[in-house]
Amino acid sequence: MIVEVSHFLSLLATGLFFLVGSFALLTKPSAYISNLITRTYSHGFLFLIASFSIYVWLAITDNFSVQYIASHSNSQLPTFYKISSIWSAHEGSMFLWIVFLSLWGFIFNITIKNEQILKSNTIGIISLILVGFLLFLLITSNPFQTILPIAPLNGADINPVLQDPALAIHPPTLYLGYVGFVIPFACALSFLINGDPGIKWESLIQKWSVAAWIFLTIGITLGSWWAYYELGWGGYWFWDPVENVALMPWLAATAFIHSLSVSIKSSNLRIWTILLSISVFSLSLFGAFIVRSGIIDSVHSFANDPERGLYLLAFIGIIIVSSMSLFVAKLSIIKPSKTIKRFSKESFISINNIFFGALIFSVMLGVTYPLIYEFLFDQKISVGAPFYNAIFIPMVILACIFMFFSIDSKWSRSLNFHFFIAPISLSVISSIITTLLISYIFDTSNLAILISLFAGFIVVYRYVIEIMNSFFMKKYLNPFSAIAHFALGLLIISISFNSLLSSERALNIKINEFEEYKDLKIFFKDIKVLKNSNHDSIEATFVLENQKGRTFDLSPEKRRYFTRGQITTETAIFIMPLKDIYMTIGDQLDDGSWIVNIQINYLIRWIWFSAGLMAFAGMVLMFSKRNI
Amino acid sequence: MKIVFKFIVLILPLSLIFTFYFLLTNNESYPGADYDVFDIPKFELGSLNNDKTLNESSLDKDFILNVWASWCITCRVEHPYLMSLSKKGIPVVGLNYKDEKEDGLEWIERYGNPYKTILYDYKGTLAMDLGVTGAPETFLIIDGKIVVRYQGEVNELIWNDVFLPVIESKDIF
Amino acid sequence: MNPIRKKRIYSILFVLLFSVSGISLILYSLNSNLDYFFTPTELKKQNIPSDKRIKLGGMVLKGSVEREASEISFVVTDYENSLRVIYDGIVPDLFKEESGVVVLGFYRDDMIYAEEVLAKHDENYMPPNLDIKNDS
Repeated sequence: MIVEVSHFLSLLATGLFFLVGSFALLTKPSAYISNLITRTYSHGFLFLIASFSIYVWLAITDNFSVQYIASHSNSQLPTFYKISSIWSAHEGSMFLWIVFLSLWGFIFNITIKNEQILKSNTIGIISLILVGFLLFLLITSNPFQTILPIAPLNGADINPVLQDPALAIHPPTLYLGYVGFVIPFACALSFLINGDPGIKWESLIQKWSVAAWIFLTIGITLGSWWAYYELGWGGYWFWDPVENVALMPWLAATAFIHSLSVSIKSSNLRIWTILLSISVFSLSLFGAFIVRSGIIDSVHSFANDPERGLYLLAFIGIIIVSSMSLFVAKLSIIKPSKTIKRFSKESFISINNIFFGALIFSVMLGVTYPLIYEFLFDQKISVGAPFYNAIFIPMVILACIFMFFSIDSKWSRSLNFHFFIAPISLSVISSIITTLLISYIFDTSNLAILISLFAGFIVVYRYVIEIMNSFFMKKYLNPFSAIAHFALGLLIISISFNSLLSSERALNIKINEFEEYKDLKIFFKDIKVLKNSNHDSIEATFVLENQKGRTFDLSPEKRRYFTRGQITTETAIFIMPLKDIYMTIGDQLDDGSWIVNIQINYLIRWIWFSAGLMAFAGMVLMFSKRNI
Repeated sequence: MKIVFKFIVLILPLSLIFTFYFLLTNNESYPGADYDVFDIPKFELGSLNNDKTLNESSLDKDFILNVWASWCITCRVEHPYLMSLSKKGIPVVGLNYKDEKEDGLEWIERYGNPYKTILYDYKGTLAMDLGVTGAPETFLIIDGKIVVRYQGEVNELIWNDVFLPVIESKDIF
Repeated sequence: MNPIRKKRIYSILFVLLFSVSGISLILYSLNSNLDYFFTPTELKKQNIPSDKRIKLGGMVLKGSVEREASEISFVVTDYENSLRVIYDGIVPDLFKEESGVVVLGFYRDDMIYAEEVLAKHDENYMPPNLDIKNDS
């Protein structure tokens, strides 16, 4: 019964959003209308939130007459996982996606006080997008479906791999990021509809875009961390198609934020900014399509259903084609105010846009090419890490070098290099020395890694000098940009070190015996079978000792869940500041020995730390008073 | 120059959308369906609701094999449709998969029994030989050979589109 | 030709040259880094250079798994042709005999030297339609 209330409230919200959309785009703007739009949207949002809250409550109270909850939750689960089970599959996660979308619109709705016409149109566009997604939810993937009269007693057991705190917060964070870009998107469109180049829509949305970017950054980082320790993949990035479709909006969003800052300062690069705002949201939608249409098999893919795929494709197609046509039709109103000076900050950022565009293009190609190839030639292929490495490594190095010089550039003025000869040469020389030292210490001549290290170090050193300058000489430093770019340098260094030093080895080892790997002495102390309420597990205990005589225990596990017979690997990780020791256990051999896999992952935590630092830089901007 | 730019901006997303449209519609419309022909694996299993021991020769020549379990919610959703199939006189054999015996029996008692025979596969050995990845899965067996396999819930739509064409062409049931 | 037009033509040419060379570089690296997917039968028909990474899909032949130290070797078959695979490392949880497997590696001396072994229904990769074909 209660689920019908929830269902009805969603329907009501759909109706209200439809009203808002048609009012905003069909009537003549006036103070009365825009007031009406604001109020009606807020009511629609409240209905939707009420509907979702009831749904969450149904999940917490184990209402298994709702088919979706019965299939994805279990009465034995802790409350936290009962709630997170809502977004563990297609219907519920789509519901959450929509709620987040309307939430962004709502916050925009209540915080923007000026620019009434622009605001009404923006809210109208957001409402129409909401209507499309709500119809998609209610028609093709209804989470409110019931299985009355007889409900199952305990629900289903959810996939044990998914019972994990990182996973419970990873999708919502990512969704908040994806749908947050609806605001720049809708704002750009309503700017085009209004056709008044005097409107400064860019400065209205800067903080929104950065907020969405922060969520996207954190969401991707959490996903990477989860795959590392829970799935036992043992790395930080796998170029899995679904990781790629999350990376594309991130790349576009990063380019967008850069381009936006130019448009705010000088109304230059407006074409880029609008094009990028459309691209970010389109790529987010494209990601939703890839994950939910089942066109690609992946760990993240939801159950496939061609009907859903076609509906989503049609809807996304309409959004993209209409926004692009609007863009093309109104292209003439977005005249650049003046030409861009060579070696000015603007010129560097437009080069940056080209880099990001090329990266997005390459990832898009890597994702779609296997599908097209199979369709045309009936031969299965896949695009793996080698392709992406071949593209990303040179591009990122080049981009770093451009970025290094852009640090000193000024808005609408040419860069005068001889003013900055001292810091530039200082950081270049120290980077060369550092790189040579690393090459000597670790005895490597891997050019790709050494050049990447060099590129990372020049950026890091340059910023260290800048930060010191701002401390001691009171030179102005944009904190957001400094932290974010410093983090990028750190990220590149961490990734380079990780691929230079990390190693893994499969050992076979008998109980009570020693084995050696690198500087580690491994003693196989114990193995036992544990019986738990819903799974059996084999737990091995190893005592490891490094050269300094420091010892620690590692206990990798292998679990077998009863009801579905699912086997999962529980990794054991020992964390040190500079490296992780990562162990998984495999099978037992005929002679009684066990295969264990041991990995030494260098600086892997620094990779996530750098990504987190980037997100932190975004927060600095969010809470700073001025537009940057 | 401007025209070229406009053209590219419009054509690029459009061509992507059309490509995906072709990819989606070109896929077999039912990804769970599979028409590879293979023999029923040899097996020896108990029955869920009596003490008989069954093997591959104790079954009919033509029948529907449905893999289910009491822990499987989709099986619960699918169940009424199986009941209607068995009412129409179509022989459905159940394969109870990785389930506790009491749970399976309770389910049958509670919701009704659409199955002529129910094989009890606690360890999932036959299911493994069949390549079952999860419940429910449904197989059409003609002359001791598996001719249709469907992963997922069988309902009227799936029955009419995936199973019925084969059944009509062989003129059985 | 007036200088403005001349300048414009140069800039168009530059953009064209730049984007064409950029795109062809990307396409070139894409083409040289593809992993082709084969069954043992398909693989034997083709002439694959030994430095080309490929993906092999099939079933693990019953009774073919041998282990020596941390090295594992097994036969992948599509019930027409078979190939032996050698791999140093831990096979995934879902790896077992008579079950689907995908191997990423190099084809040399009629054997596959694997870099990576993925089991069917492994969450990493799911090859479509790799079922037992023992009729005909």
